[in-house]
Amino acid sequence: MATNAHSSPEIPEHFRVTPIEISPSTMVQWLKPEPISPIEQRGMDSLTPGDYEIYDEKLKNILDESREIFVRSGVTNLLTAGDLIVAVYTANGDLANASAGTYLHCVTGCLPVKYVMSQYFPDPTVGVHEGDIFYTNEARYGGIHNPDQMAFMPVFHDGELIAWTAALAHQPETGAVEPGGMPILARSRNDEGMKLTPIKVGENYRIKRDLLDMMVNFIHRSPRMQEIDTRARVTGADRVRVRMQELARAQGNDFVRGLLRKLVVEAEASARQRIARWNDGIYRAVAFSDTIGREPALVRGYLTASKKGDTIRMDFTGTSPENDSSYNAYPHIAAAHAAIYIFAYPFHDLPASNGTLAPFDWEVPEGTVLNAAPDAAISNSPPLCCIVMTPATIAMAKMMFDSPDRDKVGAPNGNMGSEIVFAGTSQYGIAFADLDGCTLNTEGQGARPDMDGAHAYGFPWCHAGRAPDAEFYESEYPFLRLFYRLKEDSGGFGMWQGGHGTETALAPRHVPTMFWSAIGKSSNISVGVGLFGGYPSSASPGVWVTNTNLWDKMTRGDDDVPTDAVSVARDRTVDGEYLMEHLTRLTRVGQNGDIIVQLAAGGGGYGDVLERAPALVLSDLRQKKISEWTARNIYQVRYDPETLVLDHDATRAARDAARQERIKQGMPWDAFIAEWSTKKPDADALKYFGHWPDGASEQTLVRI
Amino acid sequence: MKRRITEYLDLDTATLEWACNRCGQSLGPAAKNYKEGCLIADRDPREIWQPFIEASFNFAYNPGWARLVEFYCPGCGTMLEVEMLPPGHPITHDIELDLESLQRDAGEPGSGES
Ligand SMILES: [Zn+2]
Repeated sequence: MATNAHSSPEIPEHFRVTPIEISPSTMVQWLKPEPISPIEQRGMDSLTPGDYEIYDEKLKNILDESREIFVRSGVTNLLTAGDLIVAVYTANGDLANASAGTYLHCVTGCLPVKYVMSQYFPDPTVGVHEGDIFYTNEARYGGIHNPDQMAFMPVFHDGELIAWTAALAHQPETGAVEPGGMPILARSRNDEGMKLTPIKVGENYRIKRDLLDMMVNFIHRSPRMQEIDTRARVTGADRVRVRMQELARAQGNDFVRGLLRKLVVEAEASARQRIARWNDGIYRAVAFSDTIGREPALVRGYLTASKKGDTIRMDFTGTSPENDSSYNAYPHIAAAHAAIYIFAYPFHDLPASNGTLAPFDWEVPEGTVLNAAPDAAISNSPPLCCIVMTPATIAMAKMMFDSPDRDKVGAPNGNMGSEIVFAGTSQYGIAFADLDGCTLNTEGQGARPDMDGAHAYGFPWCHAGRAPDAEFYESEYPFLRLFYRLKEDSGGFGMWQGGHGTETALAPRHVPTMFWSAIGKSSNISVGVGLFGGYPSSASPGVWVTNTNLWDKMTRGDDDVPTDAVSVARDRTVDGEYLMEHLTRLTRVGQNGDIIVQLAAGGGGYGDVLERAPALVLSDLRQKKISEWTARNIYQVRYDPETLVLDHDATRAARDAARQERIKQGMPWDAFIAEWSTKKPDADALKYFGHWPDGASEQTLVRI
Repeated sequence: MKRRITEYLDLDTATLEWACNRCGQSLGPAAKNYKEGCLIADRDPREIWQPFIEASFNFAYNPGWARLVEFYCPGCGTMLEVEMLPPGHPITHDIELDLESLQRDAGEPGSGES
């Protein structure tokens, strides 16, 4: 691939980008902020006391306004759910601040801007001019997976390039081998559909129709959605552009340059100051995914986080090898998934700037699933990168607990990325391809040192993601939503309980058939975990019932139509063929009247279950958030089963007995290891794990 | 000086020993993994979550893929940590503090953000 040859002295310093070798495995290096140029220093020096504080806030308002405009201009449900960002960058591509949405793009957004500045800005066949509109969705140039499309625009004022703006959101269709934008069966990049390198799709503030037609042509399963959402992205980026030009007109170009650079510089200084007060040391954490999409498989993410002074080295050595599925990633994608946590918890109060990430170094060995070959399929890199999100949360929680930042500690959020993808022809005769944002946006939050996690808190990739209107789907698409509720016992048990995830069931109707597939994990092993003795969420199997008598039962008004996943699978009051599977399910034809059940994970629990206040256990029981079985066997609470009134003495005795039982059953380290180390997982689990138990690569991979 | 490193783990910067925060029981030298000072149990996930049905995929995790490795304080039986691991997977040495810098800082006033 090309190397960056454009650091020549004739390019003014504030437009220069640090030269790097440009490849998917090295793009992460551009996360480091560029040096302060003299013209930016002049701008920073020109800010008078109060300017930074006032205009930092003004910039946030500009970004929030533009985000609202963006959301209201789009049509697909991840966009309208808020899974997006609107951002502003320095002239050479450092992210100054963003309104998110998903913090993923706080990492990935600046890389294509830097690519354009390093490669096309000096290239007379492309160039960067006032009114240009760029567009990209290619991970090789800094994106995540190709559903995530980005529009970005240079901001010119008085003929000078002073900033960049961008709007990014997930598009649920990419023209890949399967509908839905995240093809489970893709084995190389050739199966993944449209991948646009950063290209100029507009000039003079107008989108070029020929290039828009080209995009729409790629996305033939849902052309209308592509056209509307492309325009929505450009609209979002353009609103920031307009406001930045207004700001420059009022305050001058130096002021804008100074403000944007100062945001990066201040974010870095604040992040370093905070990191410096955590205990130096090495913090390790591990997480396991149980799928590569087309089949269940154990994939390990291993993180060694070394904290020294004001720096943190995130080393993913020990992570399982890349494979020929679409569950692969690149280092900047791994960093982006750590950033989701970093921007939301330890540095939630700092600008969403790449300055905040400057103290972090990323070590992601080539050949691991997090640093795959350039021809790898990576469209399911976000669901894979749960194996980054969980260990990053755990390692940094352990770094921060003994510091003034204990209030930022939490167990990992539910993060299995659970969604049903559906496609076909709707009851209105219109082609559609979309996904169900209802489970996706309602996983449970991890518990914290002083409180339970929030139920159905959001989408772990986009904390602020809003669950879409469940009924909207029924009016737009050909299915009935049988139920949508909190899943009993799904919050990780602990002294503080993880928030619950949700469960839903779709039943195709109005049309004879509907294509569907599902993404999820944590059927065999949980990718989410608890903290300091808290348990993970409960397991999530896939349930599918076909050839049912559902409509007959509903027409008759039967009162035993199931209203939760366990009753569907256990009670079988609906006639039909029952299939229990891994939650990730390949594309298939759903029949009218089928029941398709999907689950979202709860958050990890915090602390020992025997320390949970009995009153909280009984309150959960009254609200049917936990089962009687759990109250009794896990929390060891004793109560009157009729009135649910606590038996204080019996509870204390039961808990004391449980602690004594642990002491009796628990084995000392040496004896435990002697027995434990002879064990091994089921053989079918280890096919893609790498060498057991260290995860080292065992074979060379050839993709066609 | 006693530092509280996690919800359940104290560390004495003078003796460099781990101790249970709830009962004070020593859990061994801080240079080693505190888990070596715990009592440990390998638990079947079906003891924590009911499977509800008999099928290869059900509502509990697969015991051939996942175990709960629980670490208890030998003094009071508090569960200090739990890991979900595939059977036989090495135990994580999760916290390896830089003891020199901890000792250097010991006795000094707690840091705060200026
Ligand atoms: Zn104890």
